[in-house]
Amino acid sequence: MNKTDNTGDAVGGLSRADSGIESGQRAFVKYVLGMAALLLPLALLVDDAHWLNIIAFTYLMGGLAAAWNIIGGFGGQFSLGHGVFFGIGAYGAARLYVAYDLSPWLTVLPVAAFAAALAMLISWPTFRLRGPFFAIATLAFNEVAFVIAHNLTSVTGGPRGIMIPFKAGLENMIFRERWQYALLMFGFAALVIGITVILRRSRLGYYLLAVREDEDAARASGIDVLGVKLRGMALSAGLTAIGGTLFAMYLRFIDPPTIFNLQEVGVKFALLSLIGGIGTIAGPLLGAALIIPFENFLRAELANAIPGLSLAILGLLMVLAALFMKRGVVGAIEDLVARLRRKARGGK
Amino acid sequence: MDQILNVLVFGLLLGGIYGLVSIGLNLIFGVVRIVNFAQGELVMFGMFGSYYAFAYLGINPYLSVFIVAPLVGLIGVAMQRLVIQPLHNESNMQIFATFGLLMMFQNIMLGVSKGEAFSIGGQVGSSVITVGDLRISVVRLVVFGATTLVTIGLHLFLGHTMTGKSIRAVTQDKRAARAMGINVERTFLLTFGVGAALAGMAGALLTPIYSITPGVGGNFILAAFAVVVLGGLGSVWGAYIGGLIVGVVEAFAGYYIDPAVKNATWFLIFLVVLIVRPSGLMGQVGAEEVGFREQN
Amino acid sequence: MNHPLLDVTGASKHFLGLKAVDEVSLVVTKGEIVSIIGPNGAGKTTFFNLLTGQLAPTAGEVRLRGAQINRLAPHERARLGMGRTFQISKPLIALNALENVMIGAFMRHRKLSVVRDKAMAVLERVGLLQHARRRAGDLTLSERRRLEVARALALEPEILLLDEVMAGLNQSEVGQAIDLLKGLHATGLTFLIIEHNLKVVRAFSERVVVLDRGRLIAEGSAEQILNSPEVVKAYLGDGHKIAELKGASA
Repeated sequence: MNKTDNTGDAVGGLSRADSGIESGQRAFVKYVLGMAALLLPLALLVDDAHWLNIIAFTYLMGGLAAAWNIIGGFGGQFSLGHGVFFGIGAYGAARLYVAYDLSPWLTVLPVAAFAAALAMLISWPTFRLRGPFFAIATLAFNEVAFVIAHNLTSVTGGPRGIMIPFKAGLENMIFRERWQYALLMFGFAALVIGITVILRRSRLGYYLLAVREDEDAARASGIDVLGVKLRGMALSAGLTAIGGTLFAMYLRFIDPPTIFNLQEVGVKFALLSLIGGIGTIAGPLLGAALIIPFENFLRAELANAIPGLSLAILGLLMVLAALFMKRGVVGAIEDLVARLRRKARGGK
Repeated sequence: MDQILNVLVFGLLLGGIYGLVSIGLNLIFGVVRIVNFAQGELVMFGMFGSYYAFAYLGINPYLSVFIVAPLVGLIGVAMQRLVIQPLHNESNMQIFATFGLLMMFQNIMLGVSKGEAFSIGGQVGSSVITVGDLRISVVRLVVFGATTLVTIGLHLFLGHTMTGKSIRAVTQDKRAARAMGINVERTFLLTFGVGAALAGMAGALLTPIYSITPGVGGNFILAAFAVVVLGGLGSVWGAYIGGLIVGVVEAFAGYYIDPAVKNATWFLIFLVVLIVRPSGLMGQVGAEEVGFREQN
Repeated sequence: MNHPLLDVTGASKHFLGLKAVDEVSLVVTKGEIVSIIGPNGAGKTTFFNLLTGQLAPTAGEVRLRGAQINRLAPHERARLGMGRTFQISKPLIALNALENVMIGAFMRHRKLSVVRDKAMAVLERVGLLQHARRRAGDLTLSERRRLEVARALALEPEILLLDEVMAGLNQSEVGQAIDLLKGLHATGLTFLIIEHNLKVVRAFSERVVVLDRGRLIAEGSAEQILNSPEVVKAYLGDGHKIAELKGASA
């Protein structure tokens, strides 16, 4: 049995590689390769305006789902109210641009910081609530945000929303070419995933998992459960707000029904994570890649004939995933790989 | 001064509506211990069912309720059997599942109704009894009466029948009830069925009052959550009184502050109760305890 | 001034008229092994919860190394050197054994590689290293209990509070566990354990404290307590216990 010192490679015969915790370098390489693969569809379809739109939305929704996943998947706190933070990012940047000519590049981070701070404020009382009641409270926040956006006409434009005039320019975050928007959205997805990778290897990441699994055990292990939840929520909210800003500058028109629509927006982030794989790094993006183009197809082919079809199918998928595929596609793949490995070993 | 009375009466009648919608939710919650996000859609099914009975068969909603309610009850039983029961210890997945059902139900109805909104209020819907300066809507009064009758009936049922008592036993302690020989899974099915039937009944009785759209459930669900939490989980009278309180608070807030603050009122009630007195006015279970109490 | 490690004075916990813990005082000095025994419902776990901060006392004081910790939350007490396990073991199910222990190790260290190495060392110490990558939910009961001890050890505690850590283990597993605990004790760890299994108490205790219906009814060495008539009376309602007291095999 080889024993070495604390920083050595082997402890009692089990090497660092056997621990299952990969080195920072390996994680980085995997991340870069993954992002390169993610960029591929954009590179291949750079001339197809229709597909570019789908790709851009997939990146954006994937990033938003990954942001939700930080508190929902890792932390186990199922927020149905992330639409609030999305809305802050969208309305904040849009208003500051339209009214004060402030470049979204300048305002995106302060707005996100505001969303993070607000997230901590409103979560602090609601984190006391158990699972479903926490979800209801977050849902209620979303409804309240809708009412505020609908009525605070001086700031949000009320029911008519905010329209951002087309004035192309990098400094305005308004692009002439679709591929530039798609690249922007890719950047967002890459940012969120990168942060997720770092988080997963950090103390906060592990603490979020512990809080999700068993709060009492977490407390007994020295974890300030409320503090961890608040920090996770702040990070998740801030990243979601950034996504909201990008959304506003892409569509250049936002109004309360669009932003605070639970089924299309707020809950969608959770849905994508569930289908792709809650609590995994690749899951949310995978879920987006599977669902967004599919949804687009449904809408294009059948929307006029059968209104609500795509959402009905999404609802069904959500029920089926909750029942049969709790760990999502990533989980199903992991199970498959494990089963194949066992067969290979048994075959010897 | 007389305006206050009118607002009060309106609030009480509104409270009756909320009570009716919430009673089923409360029952399901107290017994099965899940939050049924799709409860508003069960009300919506009741409304549509009753509307179609009226539009195509000429049957009055106050009659068709006797068919519509049990039908919606069956949907509830199916929900419990196929979706909720398999997830009985996974509260997070239950959130997804019931929300997914909400999406399915709403959008299926959207496809069926093609986005049209229906209404059958007509003359009955707008008729009013005048008592001095008070104007009392007849159809709302009917709902108020129904809510009161249902509450009394449910109270008697839970207190004096074998089935009712076994439901109460399961509410208190699942494990002990099972040890006493009570079939807990069957109790769940029954409760969900009754809770859904009550929602369907609410829908039928509300048909003359509201415009019928697939999304109509959304009008009630948040208020219903506030009522359930305020009244106390598992308490039938709690839902009744909670409904009245929510209705009155909303009516006064809407009249004296702004109609737009409805959502905010429900939400504030919800939050304040859960933080100050989680077990509600009469609850047997505190919301903070749900998921916390070992119930297997 | 040399303070005892743990000094509890007059701890009480009342629930709506029920005195679950009634003025219990206890002193544990560094390096001691103290066992708490008593019939079911005696308030032992409630007492533990007062010590770890999971419950707030109705009255009384808890002092750790002389400092009053009544107002401190469980996680703060963990940081001060209190480790605990739970009566119904609480592994972090979806995580593997290594990650479970790493959660504990993260309290004292920040860097991932250091945390990982410390956790692996602890796993080896408790004999679970070969299970490092197995999902905690897939471990046997005995392995789960050892895992929980490992997670508490990773906190680098001064005192370990173990709540019926032997419950449900077979005879050989109990023997292995006692060896493990004795080894840990030899490194200077202080132990306060709740135990039903009196053979364990006999094999691994310096001092024994008896709780019954919330009150501390007896205190002394293992020999004294296990032969005392008062203690026998407290257990009288439980025939099984009498047989155990008389030294019959469990």
